[in-house]
Amino acid sequence: MSALDALQATLADEHAALYTYGVLGARTSQSATPALYDALTAAYRRHRSRRDQLRLLVQEAGGQPVAAAAAYELDGRLLRSAQVQAEALELEVAAVERLLALVAQSSGTVREWALTEATWSATWQVELGGAAGTWPGAPELA
Amino acid sequence: MPGRPLSRRTTLGSALAAPLALAACDIDPPPRESESSPATPPPPEDSALVAAVVAALVRAQSVLDAAAAAVPSLADRLGPVRTAHAEHLEVLVGAVPEADLPTAGAVSVPAQILPALGAVRRSEQRLQREVREGCLAAASGDLARVLGSIAASTSQHSAALATEVTS
Repeated sequence: MSALDALQATLADEHAALYTYGVLGARTSQSATPALYDALTAAYRRHRSRRDQLRLLVQEAGGQPVAAAAAYELDGRLLRSAQVQAEALELEVAAVERLLALVAQSSGTVREWALTEATWSATWQVELGGAAGTWPGAPELA
Repeated sequence: MPGRPLSRRTTLGSALAAPLALAACDIDPPPRESESSPATPPPPEDSALVAAVVAALVRAQSVLDAAAAAVPSLADRLGPVRTAHAEHLEVLVGAVPEADLPTAGAVSVPAQILPALGAVRRSEQRLQREVREGCLAAASGDLARVLGSIAASTSQHSAALATEVTS
């Protein structure tokens, strides 16, 4: 996989993550679960900024940024706040894996950006009720 | 997608022994002057970099050990991060077979819980900076990925410790 391929794959994942966060936010009550609502809102903003940056990085690498799908299939039922939180946690786990793959495929400012974002997604897992791990984004080492 | 499936023991060894499989890409590191084969010794700059991260982990472990000794009630709380760093060290040391495990100097940690946790927090922040620097400087992409995971893990544990302290 080339760096451009890795950037495009990360961008495609970010399109899906943004869509999913939008759905999760819509199913979360700001008054009933304010902490979860705030965590989802902050994550949505972070992923939106990440998507925008990835589009620029793809263009700088000479590619045409992949477009978002019209809709994405969500796994499982998202009726309870615990299910919403678990889905958000899963998004961040997958994001770390994808971003560390980009770390491996890049250097310089792209690697630095990908590492910063991977670290943010790993740390945000704790905010979403996840446990600290030993090999976030590199599960084969566990 | 993550890199090719690699066993825990061989990940860094193969990463260091077969550098720069990504040289065709314009934002990857430039190819080396000499042709590398799987039998090529680790690139010197990456060997030194691994040694520096190992030393940083040993130093951080010594602070965790000293904190747990100074405040025994902290031992359980520090258990997960101590275990994680022990596994980080195991993988990195295994990648450089002839490397000696450095010993850390004497560490003094206050015997009160909050100052001890403060010392741990500062030590972990320093470790994260050092691992991050290693990740950004690594010639091997696979090594960079492993160091990136260690930096992410360190940040996770710091966040978990901060959450426990304030809750």
